[in-house]
Amino acid sequence: MPFIEAENVRKVFAARKKITALESLSINIARNEFVSIIGPSGCGKSTFLLLLAGLEQYSGGRIHIDGKPVEGPDPKRAIVFQEYLLFPWRTVRKNIEFGPQVRKVPGEERKRISERYIRLVGLEGFENRYPHELSGGMKQRVAIARALANEPTVLLMDEPFGALDALTREMLQLELLRIWQEAKCTVVFVTHSISEAVYLSDRVVVMSNRPGRILADMAIDLPRPRNRDMMAGSDFFSYEQRLRELVWPQISSADANGNGNEENEV
Amino acid sequence: MKRTKYKKIISPLVVVIACEIIGRSGLVDPFFFPAPSAMLKSLWSMMASGEIFPHIGISVLRAVTGYIIAAVAGLFIGVLVAWSRMCEMIFDPLIELIRPISTFALVPIMFVWFGIGNGSKTAIIVKACFFPIVLNTIAGIKGVDGRLVQAARSLGAGGLQLWTMVLIPSALPMIITGMRISTAMSMLAIVGVEMLAADSGIGFLVIDAQRTFATDRMFAGIIVISLMGVGLDRVARVVQRKVLSWHEESSMAGVG
Repeated sequence: MPFIEAENVRKVFAARKKITALESLSINIARNEFVSIIGPSGCGKSTFLLLLAGLEQYSGGRIHIDGKPVEGPDPKRAIVFQEYLLFPWRTVRKNIEFGPQVRKVPGEERKRISERYIRLVGLEGFENRYPHELSGGMKQRVAIARALANEPTVLLMDEPFGALDALTREMLQLELLRIWQEAKCTVVFVTHSISEAVYLSDRVVVMSNRPGRILADMAIDLPRPRNRDMMAGSDFFSYEQRLRELVWPQISSADANGNGNEENEV
Repeated sequence: MKRTKYKKIISPLVVVIACEIIGRSGLVDPFFFPAPSAMLKSLWSMMASGEIFPHIGISVLRAVTGYIIAAVAGLFIGVLVAWSRMCEMIFDPLIELIRPISTFALVPIMFVWFGIGNGSKTAIIVKACFFPIVLNTIAGIKGVDGRLVQAARSLGAGGLQLWTMVLIPSALPMIITGMRISTAMSMLAIVGVEMLAADSGIGFLVIDAQRTFATDRMFAGIIVISLMGVGLDRVARVVQRKVLSWHEESSMAGVG
């Protein structure tokens, strides 16, 4: 039985005018799998992630995780955002301890947890800094550690490295793979970057223009652990090429419809 | 840092010296404009005799009492309005109607309601201090980034935890700003109301000196009011810095 099961998921936003963000979207994800979702801007990738997190309600279809329907947020399903969204009044340590504190984990145990994840993401020495004193890459490390401190079974990542410079991005991609191997969880990773998707994932899923649904589902049979050298290989290149051919028509049709600029990824 | 601190003293010092020269030259009748040295002399004598301290004390007491009541009420109602649509519908129109009324326009009503003792004066301070605090509390909480709340919910926070662990801390810079504005308001209001009707307090001291044509005492009182204001603002600044130690220096600039 798949760990994450989404069947005919529909999401309609009823603001001033009705917008169908997702329509008959179905996908299965196995336990501990690393799946990336790519697609044009505004296709509803981020919306789908919020549905999985239980932060938005779906309008139709069903989403089951670990056999149970998703009915609201759950600390076992953590989400990491592109904008980090750290709590600016809390130090690095206190940010990471937020989840355990909410769960009323006693102070000493909490400290053990934060120590562990500070080490895991390589933030030793920065425990008592405030977010505004950190670089973008470090902030995202904190956000990842904060998400992991609840020991989630699912890690949802919404373009987590999208705001980082290329070098920081490369470094964090590698670290994420290491962390994923250590923390043992299912990752659903939304990105704009085809090469990032291929590099990180077991499977890459391509979404259509709005209303978003799954267009293609491609297994990436590259050996693990992955490294940057693989990116120069012909296998990697052909995966990238095939995905690009799938994504491009979506982007150009989005532009032709004039809704490519709306950037309505709610 | 140190040097700019000293530089800040220069311009007041120049003004004082200029006033001293004008005062002594006999260009202006010292009755209208006593030399700073005369003001300080009478200030000194009021301090030496001890007569000024009860006035300062009672003014501070009224201001602080009113301020605390306003702060508690402002925080409470601010949170209520931000929390529920219903409370917003009840309080928002009332706030909009009462806020623009000049504090001193309410003085006669307060005298009728609370007498001419400390009660009415405290009530005036409450009116003066309440609105900056309540409005900043509402704006602060409503201005919290919805995505930050989402992040907190995904980490398991809900209900009251969202308030104590996310909304209030996130709104704190705004709330503290409102509280600092109100410290200044309290000083403005207390002096004003003491001039209108009081037999004690620093505002009374100034108006009483004017009535008895003791202009040097009058100016001495004004110096004290200025120093009290500066002192209170310093205290507020220290509190602000302590509470908001996490806050970025850049965004503190707008606050300061």
